[in-house]
Amino acid sequence: MTPVSAAIAIRDQSLKGPLLWSIVLHSLLFGSMIVSTFVSHRGDLWSGSAGGGAVSVKLVGGLAGVPLPRPETVTTNRVVDESKGLYKPEPKPKPKAPPPDAAQIPQFSKEKQPHYVTRPSKTLEDPTPPPQNAVPYGGGGAPAVPYSQFALGAGGSPNAGMQFGSQGGGGDFGSRYSWYVDAVQRRVSSNWLQSTVDPAVRFAPRAVVTFDILRNGAIANVQILQTSGNVSVDTSVVRAVQGSNPLQPLPGDYSGNKVSVEFWFDFQR
Amino acid sequence: MTPKRLGPWRAVAILGLLSTLGALQWAAPAAAQDWFRTGTGLGVSKPTVAVADLASRSGDSATTASLFSEVVRNDLDFSGIITLASKSFYPTQMPSVPGELNYKAWSDAPVSAQFLAFGNATVTGTTEEIQAWFYDVKNSSAPAVVGRVYHGDATEEQTRRFAHQFADEIIARLSGGVPGVASTQIAFVSGRSGNKEIWAMDYDGANQHKLTSLHSIALTPRWSPDATRIAFTCYPTAGSILSAQICVYSDVTSRLLNWAHYRGTNSSPAWSPDGTKIMFMSSMFGNPELFVAEADGTRPRRVTHSTGADTSAAYNPKTGQQVAFVSDRDGLPQLYTMDVDGGDVTKIPLPDMGYVIDPAWSPNGQLLAFSWRRPSGNYDLYVMDIASHALVELTRDAGRNERPSWAPDGRHLVFESTRTGTRQIWSMLADGTSPRELTAQGQNESPNWSPK
Repeated sequence: MTPVSAAIAIRDQSLKGPLLWSIVLHSLLFGSMIVSTFVSHRGDLWSGSAGGGAVSVKLVGGLAGVPLPRPETVTTNRVVDESKGLYKPEPKPKPKAPPPDAAQIPQFSKEKQPHYVTRPSKTLEDPTPPPQNAVPYGGGGAPAVPYSQFALGAGGSPNAGMQFGSQGGGGDFGSRYSWYVDAVQRRVSSNWLQSTVDPAVRFAPRAVVTFDILRNGAIANVQILQTSGNVSVDTSVVRAVQGSNPLQPLPGDYSGNKVSVEFWFDFQR
Repeated sequence: MTPKRLGPWRAVAILGLLSTLGALQWAAPAAAQDWFRTGTGLGVSKPTVAVADLASRSGDSATTASLFSEVVRNDLDFSGIITLASKSFYPTQMPSVPGELNYKAWSDAPVSAQFLAFGNATVTGTTEEIQAWFYDVKNSSAPAVVGRVYHGDATEEQTRRFAHQFADEIIARLSGGVPGVASTQIAFVSGRSGNKEIWAMDYDGANQHKLTSLHSIALTPRWSPDATRIAFTCYPTAGSILSAQICVYSDVTSRLLNWAHYRGTNSSPAWSPDGTKIMFMSSMFGNPELFVAEADGTRPRRVTHSTGADTSAAYNPKTGQQVAFVSDRDGLPQLYTMDVDGGDVTKIPLPDMGYVIDPAWSPNGQLLAFSWRRPSGNYDLYVMDIASHALVELTRDAGRNERPSWAPDGRHLVFESTRTGTRQIWSMLADGTSPRELTAQGQNESPNWSPK
């Protein structure tokens, strides 16, 4: 080994490079964590909230005419199989090595296979035992997915629109305090005056406004999420929200500091 | 393998790692931020509320219990924001504590209530204790909306006060933060003692009591914005001449406060929304004009300048910058608005002739109630949306209806009416429905609803 190559080897073993990469990667990791706390994730439509109304019904049970399939429930035979969990393939047993003293059977090229010998059935005589943790087909019970559970918005009025959501979970404000949601809906609705809209407007597409309700009931961050396309409707809608300030303070046993609201308005004269 | 050839692979590996991290961050929902979605289309729906009879926990608390539930029931019924479930549908078993509550019995037909008020009352000696709850019976997992314990003297007045407080609490929760008016007072003028004096009562007509004993004439009471004082028109005896002056009664000390006297006729005081000024009509310079003075009557300044008489000023309670008043400068008494300094006088256009008097602003400053005698009929109450001048007629063919005054929630009006033959105080919802007669004794007039 020449002195030069030795020096290269020593330089290659130094920790500088990997340390640098480690610092960069860690800082990126923490950076992404910090950024993610500022980016408010608004929940998702499927499992976000059941807010918007006190009436919470099962679609299948409540509306007889809607032919939605109920999730198939198969009762488990607990006597036969108590096991639960996912199928995990077990490692196959290795083929045993032939004994060292075995002599190979000489092969005769012209030897005929007897035509009456059938192949053994692989289905019936599979030598590998079934894994202990497998759930047999159809045996796991109903999947734990919210099937067609939805809440009727705006105090149960038929034209109030509906939305999907599950009870419980992270954003369960709407289901826990449905009376509060209804009260907000009632207050803002009663402050939405027809006279504040241009008389020429007969109908306007849905306008959606978002705002936050702080702990003391104050309204903050009023923003138009979706414009109705008409300035006077948009103005009246924002005025209806701001005219409801302050709202009732958030429920006393609610632990959060604020609640975000998405409020839609359908204008029709 | 040299480091140079590793470079792109490393970059790819790092990118992959980063994207995995990012995906993880996004996938985990930030459960800290709750939100809900709601909306409105046409109209406002009212929740159905049932009020169970309070359980009586001791022998002599039966009257307290029934009075409490009766008052709460009346308050909720008159709030205008709920539908009261009919009492005949109630289940026979009334819960006295949350543990006894059978959610299904109340939330299912025929009661079909969304909320239930219930509780119990105990009277020991001269003190009473009332436990009251308000539960969302359709949401048995988190039903508590209001829970209160009231402790006080075992008197009818105190029980009524507790019931009003409890009802106000419920109404505030259900209306999204607008306080209820069950604990408010109404001042009015009554001649039942022989002279016209200022009286006050609870908003439901209970607890009527006389405030002043001036043995002359008292008119047009007006509560101050902090509800501690009442300004009114009085006729103090100065020698042998009766001249109308402004008097201010303090509800705290139960006495009249000093207020400056001026020449001529001074009447119809109106408080500015901040409570620092009083606008009133005065003929101190001959013609009846509007003047504004400090709350103690000093430093009067003339506001209107016209050939006719100007009177009955009312400040816009929201802005404090606009005043509605009555003037006959064009012949008949009509409504006008102006700025507080007297500028920008505008006549409020009406589609018909007749006398228009008694302007009263709604608390949100958007509606103006007044009484109007059209050529075809009697005095009736109207409400006008001041921005669009859209009119709603509230009374018709029911005697003379005059002098409306708004409740602080903007949902109720109190007024005087002769529909029963005598002049009495009535209240109703601001859309003209569910009128209630509050007084029955003697002649009563000129009501004014306290601001809190």
